[in-house]
Amino acid sequence: MSNRTASRAGIKRLITVGSVVAIAALGLTACSSTSASSTPNSGSSKKLTIAFVVGASSDPFFQAMKVGAQDEANALGVNLVFQGNATTYSPATQIPIVNQVLALKPSGLALAPTDPVALQNSVTQAVNAGIPVVNVDSKVNDQSKVISFITGDNAQGGSVAADTLAKAIGYQAGGTYQVVVGLTSATATTNVDRLNGFKAEIAAKYPGIDIVATGYSQSNPTTANTNINNWLTTYPKLSGIFAIDGTNATGAAAALQAKGLTGKVALIGYDAYKTNVDLIGTGVFTALVAQDPAAEGKDAVDTLVKYIKAGNKADGIKKSVTLPNIVLDRSTSAADLTKFTYVQG
Amino acid sequence: MVKVDTVAAKELTGSGSAGGANRSGATLRRVLVNQQFLLIVVLVAMIAGFSALNENFLSIGTFGNILVQWAPLALLAIGETFVIVSGGIDLSVGSTVTISGVVSAFAMAGLTGAGVPDPVAITIGAVVAAAVGLTVGLVNAALINFAKLVPFVATLATLGAGAGLALVLTKGGPVSGGPPSAIGLANVWLGPFSWPVLIVIVIVVIAGLYLHKSLFGRYTFAIGGNAFAATAAGISVKKHLTKVYALSGLLAGIAGMALYLQLGSGSPSAGAGNELQAIAAVVIGGASLTGGVGRMSGTVLGALILTVVTSGLLVINIDPNWNQVVVAILIAAAVALQALRGVHRRIK
Amino acid sequence: MTETAAPIYEVRNVSKNYGSVVALENVSLQIHAGEVIGLVGDNGAGKSTLVKVLSGAHQPDGGQILLDGIERHWHSPHGALQAGIETLYQDSGLAPNLTVSSNVFLGRELKVPGILGRLGFLSQKKMDTVAHEDLDRVGIGVAASDRTVAELSGGQRQAVAIGRAVSWARKVIILDEPTNHLGARQANEVLDVIRVAKAKGLGVIFISHTLPHVLQVTDRIVVLRLGKIVRDAPTSEFDAEKLLGTITGLIGSAPSA
Repeated sequence: MSNRTASRAGIKRLITVGSVVAIAALGLTACSSTSASSTPNSGSSKKLTIAFVVGASSDPFFQAMKVGAQDEANALGVNLVFQGNATTYSPATQIPIVNQVLALKPSGLALAPTDPVALQNSVTQAVNAGIPVVNVDSKVNDQSKVISFITGDNAQGGSVAADTLAKAIGYQAGGTYQVVVGLTSATATTNVDRLNGFKAEIAAKYPGIDIVATGYSQSNPTTANTNINNWLTTYPKLSGIFAIDGTNATGAAAALQAKGLTGKVALIGYDAYKTNVDLIGTGVFTALVAQDPAAEGKDAVDTLVKYIKAGNKADGIKKSVTLPNIVLDRSTSAADLTKFTYVQG
Repeated sequence: MVKVDTVAAKELTGSGSAGGANRSGATLRRVLVNQQFLLIVVLVAMIAGFSALNENFLSIGTFGNILVQWAPLALLAIGETFVIVSGGIDLSVGSTVTISGVVSAFAMAGLTGAGVPDPVAITIGAVVAAAVGLTVGLVNAALINFAKLVPFVATLATLGAGAGLALVLTKGGPVSGGPPSAIGLANVWLGPFSWPVLIVIVIVVIAGLYLHKSLFGRYTFAIGGNAFAATAAGISVKKHLTKVYALSGLLAGIAGMALYLQLGSGSPSAGAGNELQAIAAVVIGGASLTGGVGRMSGTVLGALILTVVTSGLLVINIDPNWNQVVVAILIAAAVALQALRGVHRRIK
Repeated sequence: MTETAAPIYEVRNVSKNYGSVVALENVSLQIHAGEVIGLVGDNGAGKSTLVKVLSGAHQPDGGQILLDGIERHWHSPHGALQAGIETLYQDSGLAPNLTVSSNVFLGRELKVPGILGRLGFLSQKKMDTVAHEDLDRVGIGVAASDRTVAELSGGQRQAVAIGRAVSWARKVIILDEPTNHLGARQANEVLDVIRVAKAKGLGVIFISHTLPHVLQVTDRIVVLRLGKIVRDAPTSEFDAEKLLGTITGLIGSAPSA
């Protein structure tokens, strides 16, 4: 995004960034003249408050992220306001939460946007109000205003899932294999990146694999379960399932167990929920692609505090941080399985 | 005794003495605006359409899945039918499914952890789920009868409280560690019917008989149609409404257990949004949200149509977000049909 | 009428307040079997409150209620109903989506014999037949008692409501504005039903704003003004002008003996 030639848009953006910096500076001056609420470099003054808004906060992935963020906030001595709609991963429910959190005038905002376009406006508003923004897990389209984007490598996770799945179904050139993908949302960048990584890898290496269907669970494991049940009957020759996140993994695992198809249909899950990690041993999951949400949460808080304490300077802050994924399967040591299982708050 | 030739007698015999041809025309018109008939037409058309687009749709397996989805929705919709016919609404059923499933999951995990055999743990779990559901129903009734809240507000309060409590108890994560055999338990089939589905079908039949043939149903219709007339006739409206909301809660609790058996774990989002589906099923089935009108057969068909739409769109691989659009159209059509029938009645 | 006989239903010195508003003050009233009493008064005179006290819907703050000379306390309309007092409330109407016979039997449903009956199942066929006969007996010939009330005209509904009350009443029937909203012919038919009730030996309390109807059908007229009975006299002592004068207070009132 930064390699574009200077265009009107680029100039406009420069102006915007300039004015944002100016507004932010003004805001800070105003603040420091009235109270010491969010003045940088004033260790003895009131604590910084970091707002952290995620998608479905009941998702163990975000729960683990909260644990990491909270630990780091405690270590750095800052307040953490961690919010998100309890169960629904949707911009419709997330936008009001972000707006409400911004009204509290936090020192910084860590946001896991549920939609790259719908949440853009909230990010712009925050930046305009002098509140620095970090994206975690997923991102908004215009990254110019965001100081950093911290995520697991979703595209890589998708391609690793494709390789693991191909191996699990015993892929041979010339054969045809039907697979399905259970998603949560059609627009969340994590889902899209994983799916694209998965598709790209299949197109490149496994032309015999046919992705016959995709469906969305909207973060409800019952819906995910229903989807998989339907596919299992509609595609009786189904070879494998890629459950793109924890909710889908839970639903798919239940479907395979209920229908007695454990081990007969390969299941590659994403996210190391404790219930799912336990099912690697019994063979329900062929493999799980695990992220490190606690590290993402920790990094997000760390980055924001660093940026604010440096007087809103991005020195030494990476614009984009990608945390590696780990594949957990039967060969993974018990110690590693425990280490990468998402902690629940 | 004074012989009185009342207007009632004249008018009623007057309309009855219409010619045979006229009468068969009226009968045909009645059939065409008959909700059950139309629902069956819509259902058959949908199944035919989905089958044409994917040959695998028309299979015992697919219908088995549809019925597995239908069963918990049907349980909620049965309770909701009684509530809506009584002139109320129960928004709390979805969160009751969640909270009863979660509490029951904790109970079963505790029992399994203590070495209690699976069948015992599952039976106790089912009783716990039903009891939690019943409790929520009684809380709704108390809020309506004694705190004098309108049903919409009372059940909105329990909706929020139940969903919130489920999140607090679970800290957001799934509740596992229950009886390992629970997940395969429902997997005994008779054609497209798993045994929990057969149980739900029996419940549907009993509920239908009670709504349309028993004193309980009679009072429900009377209160929904004209609560004052019911009171004047000596019916204890409070007592009856308590039973109606308790029934709705109890059925939601049973549905919570059914979803637990489906997922093999308790989930704090298992029933999210189910209340709207249940209400949609009842309205599509021909009930009026103003009370006093509704049929169990309509509700059951409404629930079946909703599940067929969900499954069908998935099977033909269409963006499932269309689901909401289709459901909205069905609801609008059902309400329009009600208005049409109203006009038809007034013209007479 | 037969002033010598003991009254079937009686209230003595009944008072009722709603907050600081006095709705009824020291009201005493007697009804005899086979007697039709007209209860009249302007809006706010206390007619509706008196009806609610008589029917058990409201409890009086003071005074006594006696049925067949025995003091009674109604805690709900149900108690009064069971004691044989039927009330047709103004616009209370019927349950619109139930059939005529279901409405006639509302609150007194017949169950099928045996175990199914104990489970709560209704004997609809029997109710249909009996409702038809009962309505016929009080002069209301409803051809199709399996029709829903919503399908009937306003006059038909009122006929069913009155027929229901008359066929169930064992002692007293209270009719609150039964001829309201009815055409002349339909109203006359309602008055005929009142005569049937009288012939059955019921005590009838007829509340109406339509004074010609009151003069036409009653034996005695009780005039309420501002929560008090201002006149209680045989109908023969009134004509339309006198009655109107008494209601509005233009004619001085002396309570009759």
